[in-house]
Amino acid sequence: MATHDIFMPALSSTMTEGKIVEWLKKPGDKVGRGESVLVVESDKADMDVESFHDGFLASIVMPAGSSAPVGETIGLIVESEDEIAAVKAKSPTPSEPVSADLEKSSPPVEKKVSLSDSSNRKTLTNEKTVVPQIPISPPQVFNDGRIVASPRAKKLASQMGVDLSTVRGTGPHGRIQAQDVQSANGQPISVPWIAESDSPASISTSSSQTEKSTESEKPPLPGKSFGSRGETIAFNTLQQAVNRNMEASLNIPCFRVGYSILTEELDSFYKKVKPNGVTMTALLAKAVGLTLARHPQVNAAFSSGGIAYPSEINVAIAVAMEDGGLITPVLKNADETALADLSRQWADLVKRARNKQLEPHEYSTGTFTLSNLGMFGVDRFDAILPPGTGAILAVGGSLPKVVASKDGSISIKKQMQVNLTADHRVIYGADGALFLKDLAYLIEKNPHSLSS
Amino acid sequence: MNKKLHSFSREPGPDSNLDLIPQLVQTSSAFLFEPERIVPFDVALNWQKDFQKTLMDQPFSPQAVWFLQHESCYTLGRGSDKKNLLFDVKNSPEPLYRIDRGGEVTHHAPGQIVGYCVLNLNLFKKDLFWYLRELEQVLIDVLGLLGLEGHRVNGLTGVWCQGCKVGSIGIGCKRWVTQHGFSLNVDCDLIGFERIIPCGLDKQKIGRLNDFIPDIKVCDVQPLVRESVKRRFKLKWENKKLISH
Repeated sequence: MATHDIFMPALSSTMTEGKIVEWLKKPGDKVGRGESVLVVESDKADMDVESFHDGFLASIVMPAGSSAPVGETIGLIVESEDEIAAVKAKSPTPSEPVSADLEKSSPPVEKKVSLSDSSNRKTLTNEKTVVPQIPISPPQVFNDGRIVASPRAKKLASQMGVDLSTVRGTGPHGRIQAQDVQSANGQPISVPWIAESDSPASISTSSSQTEKSTESEKPPLPGKSFGSRGETIAFNTLQQAVNRNMEASLNIPCFRVGYSILTEELDSFYKKVKPNGVTMTALLAKAVGLTLARHPQVNAAFSSGGIAYPSEINVAIAVAMEDGGLITPVLKNADETALADLSRQWADLVKRARNKQLEPHEYSTGTFTLSNLGMFGVDRFDAILPPGTGAILAVGGSLPKVVASKDGSISIKKQMQVNLTADHRVIYGADGALFLKDLAYLIEKNPHSLSS
Repeated sequence: MNKKLHSFSREPGPDSNLDLIPQLVQTSSAFLFEPERIVPFDVALNWQKDFQKTLMDQPFSPQAVWFLQHESCYTLGRGSDKKNLLFDVKNSPEPLYRIDRGGEVTHHAPGQIVGYCVLNLNLFKKDLFWYLRELEQVLIDVLGLLGLEGHRVNGLTGVWCQGCKVGSIGIGCKRWVTQHGFSLNVDCDLIGFERIIPCGLDKQKIGRLNDFIPDIKVCDVQPLVRESVKRRFKLKWENKKLISH
């Protein structure tokens, strides 16, 4: 009755694709629960993949020698011997396990078919395959109202906004595979999505009202999701870590204090230093670092022994990860480090965060955290305090606002709202307010001092 | 088995504000084996299989680590390409084993420390990439203790010293229980490497520690390797007295 998929396992949190070294079973072979069915290789590591069910290997979807994305169906297990034939008949892919072995004495035409077939499967390459698609016995779609898709295909579809009911499945039983979703969407796999707070304030800042309106003609992108309707997706390691920290923060008595900062001076300073490779993230981190140096209380944290004043000012900046969770790479000694160095360090940290290559000291030693959603056009938000630190600053976008000045005149100026979340055991309202006032003074009146 | 061997308490360091790597284990225990005599390859393989099988059936049974030397032989990973053998398979000059680890052909010989680790990665981190990097770090740390600078080569697995590959790594894994491990050339004869393309890396220079530190012997290096593995994986040796098989 039941068909069970064998999926390409993740041998590592950074692995996107695995290579099938060897099938230890042939189609039709009996397999026991817990028995090794195939071997997957990544780098110098081999992993035996086991069956989670008693039954028979009905079909090998991905032959030995081929690569498949993590989570993709690579084989099918059925519970009884009778079902093997049915699965085989419905399976549109050549179920000969040796189809990767092109050196075999197969006739040239057939060779070509399996060639294009296997290159179609390498879905994770940058370019769409140019090999002309030779139709391989057009797959019938058996979706009598019910959509059968691999978990990875479902995930991709929801990420790409592809309606699965419009996708023709080329997998066994007309099952929709990741590659089908990609070809339906007409694009190879999406580039890593990472919300680094590097296109700051200034993107929305530099766009005047009119630019904004043309921009808004483009419909916003659909939101990200890790699963589709009706599904429950397990948390990954990073998400679990974030969960623990967020829950721990519930035990911290926090308060929030906000400030509006004019950004015209900062913007013109940014334009001047941008050619030197200075980024807005570095400017913000430096501004916060210099202000923290004058307000050590806001850099302090609660500890069981009392108020702990760190020896350094390390500004951590939250970065969302493409596959869920977030990480807070740290710019060490942000008050003393030159803008260009901060910019370089940040670019390197983000790059390595993406590849999950950060060392613990590079994301766990922040003494103050910055979270910037300005690049999304957000005007204000508040952030949750990471345990172990005293305060976090939520930075909104810098947007044109009608501003009344002291002499009663009214003008339009660009303003950025910042919101400080602080642990009241260490930082009091007045500490937070003075810190923000000083930060605003630096950004509004004295941005040039950032380069010193 | 004694479940107290494995502590699951998690305690974030005093300085960490975002504890991203859950330290499931503070220490776990492993049997340590350091046979004095040279061990045939297949014998050591069976030792590992026994421990691996027990660990798969009983996740809390002890892990095991071996440091030993093999007689001269070649081993092929499961996905190995025979092109990397510069001799006829049927006429191998030395015993040839095809085994269930990742990677291409490699060579073992007396004077090379082989480290086998049967560890339960469920207790550490279920990430083979992480595990390979940790094994490299074990060797880099050993070189560091000897005053040598070991390094990685981007995109490859292994440890290099002054441009020569001195340490090789290849592992296999079942249900996150590992087998195989690493080898470190101390004062072995390198001639066996000339009949293969080690690890499939053409023109790779193979080195050994006594090229850099004359007269260094396995008995000088092995204690450092033992401590380095112990420290890196936070292991407690189960057997106080060293058992030799």
